[in-house]
Parts: sequence; structure tokens; C-alpha cells
Amino acid sequence: MLNTLAQAFALISTWEVIVAMLAASVYGLVIGSLPGLSATMATALLVPVTFYLSPIAAIATIVAASSMAIFSGDIPGALLRIPGTPASAAYADEAYAMTRKGEAELALGAGVWFSAVGGIAGTLSLMILAPPLAEIALSFSTFEYFWLAFLGLMCATLVARSSPVKAIASMFIGLLVSCIGIENPGGVPRFTFGVTNLLGGIEPIPALVGVFAVAQVMRAMLTPEPPPIPRRKFGSIMAGQWLLTKKYHWQMTRGNIIGIIIGVLPGAGADMAAWVSYAMSKRFSKEPEKFGTGHVEGLVEAGASNNASIASGWVPSLLFGIPGDTIAAIAIGVLYMKGLNPGPTLFTEKASSMYAIYLMFIIANIIMIPFGIVMIRLASHVLRAPRSTVMPVIMLCCAVGSFAIGNNMFGVVTVATFGIIGYVMEENGYPVAAMVLGIVMGTMIEQSFVTSLIKSDGSVLPFFERPIAAILAAMAIGALIWPVLVWVWRKLRREPAPATASR
Amino acid sequence: MRLPDRVTGLFLVGLGAAAAYGGWQLPPVPGQPVGPNVFPLVIGTGLALCGLAIALGIGRSFEEEEELIPVEGGQPQPPTGKLYGLRALLPPALLLFYVAVADQLGFIITAALIVFVTSTALGARWKLSLPLAVLAPIGIHLIFSKLLRVPLPAGLLPMPW
Repeated sequence: MLNTLAQAFALISTWEVIVAMLAASVYGLVIGSLPGLSATMATALLVPVTFYLSPIAAIATIVAASSMAIFSGDIPGALLRIPGTPASAAYADEAYAMTRKGEAELALGAGVWFSAVGGIAGTLSLMILAPPLAEIALSFSTFEYFWLAFLGLMCATLVARSSPVKAIASMFIGLLVSCIGIENPGGVPRFTFGVTNLLGGIEPIPALVGVFAVAQVMRAMLTPEPPPIPRRKFGSIMAGQWLLTKKYHWQMTRGNIIGIIIGVLPGAGADMAAWVSYAMSKRFSKEPEKFGTGHVEGLVEAGASNNASIASGWVPSLLFGIPGDTIAAIAIGVLYMKGLNPGPTLFTEKASSMYAIYLMFIIANIIMIPFGIVMIRLASHVLRAPRSTVMPVIMLCCAVGSFAIGNNMFGVVTVATFGIIGYVMEENGYPVAAMVLGIVMGTMIEQSFVTSLIKSDGSVLPFFERPIAAILAAMAIGALIWPVLVWVWRKLRREPAPATASR
Repeated sequence: MRLPDRVTGLFLVGLGAAAAYGGWQLPPVPGQPVGPNVFPLVIGTGLALCGLAIALGIGRSFEEEEELIPVEGGQPQPPTGKLYGLRALLPPALLLFYVAVADQLGFIITAALIVFVTSTALGARWKLSLPLAVLAPIGIHLIFSKLLRVPLPAGLLPMPW
């Protein structure tokens, strides 16, 4: 254990890792703070760069950039009422109300401080949960993997803030995309239409870049430019945070726990964690009437929650290759690329690398505090960068980055195509995250499904015979019929739809 | 680009049916009950069913309308017109333009054109977009070609490094 820890320290104390981490932190802070550029997009655009780094440095950039971007989305939320990332949308109103009351420092300080606390809590959960789960997972067969992947996809559709039918349809579209190519049980070209470039299938990363980056540039073409941020001087940012921690320690802990649980659930990520935690905070608050008028309580809980989900989202990713959220989906791509194939054996064979990941998460969340304070102070300058200078650079990064993944122009075509698909889907209420998870998990779910069917000689019964498989199956089927039950219940009660019932 | 649910739903029915049919046509693996044809068949069927449900309006009650956050001081109304919506297609079109001409023109020239057009379309004056079109491609080229050794096409204007 100590020996592994020492090895992990040695792994991360190289110049490459340190520089990569610092650069990615700054990058994540800047992208996260610009409205419309999400944490997922920041991470997706990083992938081509990670291609050329050592495995640990590559993971370091992902860890640092995603953690920083989730915090930094709070900045424009508090100053402009425009969330920098969707994960900050839940409490942007509240934070802005605080700014108007002259408490911008307190709001932003709470953002940075409770984000860091949440991130560290999430990391601890990763350290504590992952190894024992890996022990259990070692005995999993294809039946369990199938149900696990299925459950993951169902969770992704359940938590989407739109119609569950559309979410399931998005998931099917993603799975259909993953069918393309010759990587299937028969090794025959499937849905390639004679196009040689399609034989290798659709790479998840260009698809992600298209859906999250190109679609965003497309949306920017039709929406008016957000107003520039007013210049302002900030007082002490960390003042009063310790008092808040003591006053709201229960809210903070609850936020951490909710964030961890939502992060571990496949498909549900930081945005969902923040929404649920903010709602919880309001529901259980002693002074719910203060919510919406610039009350810090909800900020504490939701801020602690969304960052906690980032680290715990790595649990299913590392163990099963099932992404906890879209950022983890990208991380899985990078893990495969770097020969750290996700699976329970990762924790025994590559233990030092795992410890290195834990350490990097903790370091990223600690340096978030000084970096975050600097970023808050510089925010009025960074946020002045007009969209017309940022978006063209993003376009170039999309083109070059998707080309660099395979040194193949077809990657650029993929990005453009998925830009259009993502844009149209989002416009019509089809959640793109469900499609992305479908693309990432398609091959895995098909393999475990077909292998299981072959093993069982075409019978469905063995899918339910093993105890863990039966439990997972029950959960997955429960997730599938849950929306139906809610719908029936609503019909029976004839009540106006409560907003929380769909989750 | 907001289409009625009926349209998107029926499109998905068609897509699902096509996928199921395409999967059904695939050759099975000899001697095995299941092959590459099963998965597309299952997915295609599922997709078609979902499409049908969407077209019939099932599950609509779950949709939450996205709250538009009004900005104080009044927001400039986006101009509306028939062709205005087509502007959204500009970014993917530019990417395809890159695919088509980058090998002949080279990275720098193509990238400069993309930056200039995107920037102008987003409302930048030429005083901003022109210098940006010169500097951004050079910067990206430095990072990706020099540092990361991505073989970007040189074309008509090779860089001295």
C-alpha cells in the first residue's frame, strides 16, 4: 500500500505531469467561465492533445480541466446570471441575487470553497468505493456486464430533463451509430454502405466534439451575444467561508453524498447533481422562503454536489468502462487509448496508476482554491473576450483535433455530421447525452448481449439466474417501467405534474 | 429548426425500420444462433416503437420547457427572417470546406478563411476578424504541428518551422 503510494507519487512528480496539470487547470477555468462552453466541451477538445502525452499526464489534463471547468461555470452565473456550464445552471439565479445584494464575494467564495470540498469528498468516495467493488466485479460474467450496461443506459434516460421516450430514442440512435463498422460478432461490414472510412466504425471522440462543440458554435450563430460583464473590484473572497462551513456543515455533507451517488449512477452527471441538491436544499431548509432572494444555503449544497459527482463519476468508468457522465465517457476513451483499459483488474495490476489518479484529483481540488481566486479576480477581463474571437478558435480546434485523432480527414466529416445531428436533436428536445452514452457503450453492450445469448443457447432465462445478474436486471427493468408508473399515477390522481416526479 | 414531434417521431420510425431491415439482411454466423444481425434488429425495433410513441405524443407531459433567463437592461432581439435559421449550418459547412480544400490550399490559408467567416458571421468587424484570421491559424499550427506533431497539410503556404 505505502509502496504503491510512493510509486504513484513518483508517477505524478514528473515535469510533464505538473506542466500538463497546470496548463489544463488554466484552460479548464477559462473555458468553463465562458458562457456556452461547457466542461464536457473543454474536455472533448483536450483529447487530441492528450494523444501525445504519457498516460498519467493525459489523465492529469482530463482530471484538472474537468474539475476546474465545473467550478468556473459558477463565475458568470454569479456575475451575469448566465451559467458558464450547465452544471451551474441550477443556482445561477441564486448566486446572481447575492451579487445584487452586494455579496458577490461570498457567492463566488462559496463556489470555489465548496467545489474544492466536494471534489475531495468525491475523490475519497472513489478511493473507498472502487477497490471493494472491483473485488465483486471480478466475478462478473457477461450476463452481469450486460445488465450493468443496460442499467447505465436506462439511468441516462431517466435523469434527462426531457421526455423519457425521447431520451430512450436518443439512446437507441447512439446504439445504432455504434453498430456501424466491422467490429461486430460476425465481423461483417454493417451499415457501411460501401464507404471504406466507415469500416472502422464511428469514433466516439469526434462524435462527442461534434455534438458538444460544433453544435454550440451553431447555436451561437442564432443567439445574441451575452452582455459584457461589468467591471468590479472584489473584496476578500475566502472571508466568511469557514463560518459557512460550520453553519451549513450538514447541507455540505448532504450535497457531497448526493453528488457522489449521482456521479456513480451511470449517465447522470454534474448538472443533475446540482439540480437535485439545490432542490433538496430548498426542501429541507429551515428557511425555504429565503431561497431565490440571494441565500447562500443552496449554493453551498449544490456547489458541493456538482464537484463531488465529477470524481465519483470515475468509479463505474474505471471499474466497468461504463461512463458515469459525459466527461467520464471522454475519460474512458483516453484510458483505452493509453492502454489503461477499464476493468476490475486495473485496481490490482495497475494499482500505482490508480493511486496516481486519486492523488491528481486531490491536488486538482486543492490548487482549485488559489487558481479559482485568481480566476475570479481576472474574470471581468476574461469574460470580456467577445464570442466572435472565441468561437472561430474553437472551430479550428474542432477541425484540427478531429483530424489528429486518426490523422484522417474523415474525422472532420464525422465532427461536422455530428454537429448537425446534435444541434437538431437538442433543438427538438432529444437529450444528446443519452446518445453519446449509447455510442460509447454500444460495442460493449452488444458484445455482452450476444456472448450471453450464445452461452445460453438463445435462451433468455440465464440472464436472470445468477444472483447479481437478477438484482441488476430487476433494477434495470424497474428503471425502464418507472416513467410508465409515474405517468399512470399522474393520470389516476389527475394532478398538475410535479416537476420532480420525472426523475 | 424546431420540428413538430410528429415529424421527428415518424422519421425515427423510418430510421428504426430501415435499421431493423438492414440488420435482418446481414448474413448470420454459420452454426450459431445469434450473429451480427440480432443487435440492429433489436435496436431498430426499439427505435421504431419510440418514434411511434413520440409521434403519438406519449411522454410529452414529462418535458420541461427550458426557462429563458431574461437579462436585465433588455436583450437585443435576434433578427428573424427566412434565411436567418440557415446561418446555423455555417459551422458544419465550413468544416466540410476544410475537408475539401485543406490538402490543396494548405492549413494556414484554409484556417484563415474559416476564422474570418466565422468571426464575421458572429458580428465582428474586419478590424477584429482580419488580425484574428492571421494570428489564430498560426497559433494553432504552432501548437498542433510543432508541439504535437500533427501532420497538417502545408499546401500553398508552408510554415518556416
